Amino acid sequence: MTDAFLFWFLALITIVSGLSVVLMSNPIYSALSLAMTMIGVSALFVTLNAYFLAGVQLIVYAGAVMVLFVMVLMLFDLKHELQAFTRGRITGALKIGSVGILAGLLVGAITLGTQIIKKQEAITEATNQAASLDSTRALAENLFLKNVFGFEALGVVLLVIAIGTVALSRSKGGTHARD
Amino acid sequence: MINMGSTTLEITINIIKTVLVFLMMVQLVPILVWVERRGSAFIQNRFGPNRVGPLGLVQLLADAVKFLTKEDFVPDKGNRFLFYAAPVFALIPAAIAYMAIPMSTPLIVGDAKFLIQGFEINVGIVFILGISSLAAYTILMAGWGSGSKFSLMGAMRASAQIISYELALGLSIVGVIMTYGTFNLSEMIAAQQGPLTFTALGSTTVLSFLPNWGIFYQPLGALIFFAATFAESNRLPFDLAEGEAELVAGFHTEYGGFKMLMFFIGEYGHMMIASGLMATFFFGGYGIPYISVQEMYLKLFELTGDAGFANILNTVAHFLSYNVKFILFLWFFIHVRWTLPRFRYDQLMDLGWKTMLPWALVNTILTAVAIFVAAQFVL
Repeated sequence: MTDAFLFWFLALITIVSGLSVVLMSNPIYSALSLAMTMIGVSALFVTLNAYFLAGVQLIVYAGAVMVLFVMVLMLFDLKHELQAFTRGRITGALKIGSVGILAGLLVGAITLGTQIIKKQEAITEATNQAASLDSTRALAENLFLKNVFGFEALGVVLLVIAIGTVALSRSKGGTHARD
Repeated sequence: MINMGSTTLEITINIIKTVLVFLMMVQLVPILVWVERRGSAFIQNRFGPNRVGPLGLVQLLADAVKFLTKEDFVPDKGNRFLFYAAPVFALIPAAIAYMAIPMSTPLIVGDAKFLIQGFEINVGIVFILGISSLAAYTILMAGWGSGSKFSLMGAMRASAQIISYELALGLSIVGVIMTYGTFNLSEMIAAQQGPLTFTALGSTTVLSFLPNWGIFYQPLGALIFFAATFAESNRLPFDLAEGEAELVAGFHTEYGGFKMLMFFIGEYGHMMIASGLMATFFFGGYGIPYISVQEMYLKLFELTGDAGFANILNTVAHFLSYNVKFILFLWFFIHVRWTLPRFRYDQLMDLGWKTMLPWALVNTILTAVAIFVAAQFVL
């Protein structure tokens, strides 16, 4: 009973804050709602016994990435951002269209997912118990033994992005250019 | 599923524990404020508050009444919602994170086993770091919601500082995690029982005059961790967010009365988390030096002759042991605040990024190499 209550409560919080990311007209509120969505997702991870993922989600996304977003947003003069929020007919049609495509994708994913889950139910029942005991170790084995090449390659890509950002912002004098 | 409790009894006990730990934290704050004021007076050769009640102890009550009766005030250009939300959010991460720290051995009454800890979580460290990293939002919300330049500048400084030192903090703990091979705080404390024992190169050295504490395995990690927690809790010498000479009071410039007090409690809460973690990682947690949990229990059992009563006494003894360490570290926080001057902002960033981060990385690599060599080669 508590599990069901927890799931619906956390799902409600996550979805409501996720919606308010899009619907709020003030960017600060959007960013704070996005942080709230991250926290909700990490709480959902906890109910799935994935404690490590929950903690990492909090540290990396809610605790570092979103803080930087909020920090930068707070330095802007936000009145311009409010005016730039368009309500045109063509953009509205585009928005409704993309919402429709996303909804279709979600429904498709859920129906496909439930079919696969039904097939694998017998297998997961057995493995779930073992995996939940030490999901951190399982995650580490996946990352550092099975998929170590992909993991390291992603690290290199991130490093390239970081260096590229610094190089771009510094080219032609960067932020200190006097022209 | 999460240990939320499947029966009504478990849920009730968990709720009571939650309230108890929160009250413990909040009730410790007035005492700490008194210690801070009397202690600073003692350090600076003054008297400090000594008029209201014995040793000035009732000063806290007078302060609380004053805080409660102050005018409830929102700045004109501020954001009302964020302005009110920020102090509330200041309390939540500190309280939740503190609950994950084990404070004593489990209490066994009949068939029931009560953990002296808000909740047991398998990856205690990651959880505590994750929750307490949310404190940056509080400061940003307060700074932006106040609608004042001083507040915003203070908030920017504070959150930049928190993000920078979180890296060093997280990396300094990696060495600890590798040494004990676990994320679980209770297992870490269990690994720190008994005399100092090094097992390396196929032989075991026992130093019976020292306890088996983490600080002897990870001295550099302990140093970096403790320094970084000062920055995380915005205490001197890292309290640039509140530099009076430049920013009035930083992110809480516009706050008064009870809202200001809530920020205060949040700051002391982070100090308590830091002290508790310092004790748990590097000083044996609730363990009593020179005697393991099991030996203590056997001694108490000999004395009392009653297994249940001995267990309760054992829990109480370890709870006291934890609190002695905890309070010593809190005093250390207060002593440092009144001893060291504030850094300059560029010095602060240099220390975080160019000194502590590389040394934390070195510590991680050294620990990994040492563990590998100790396990692989036999002399």
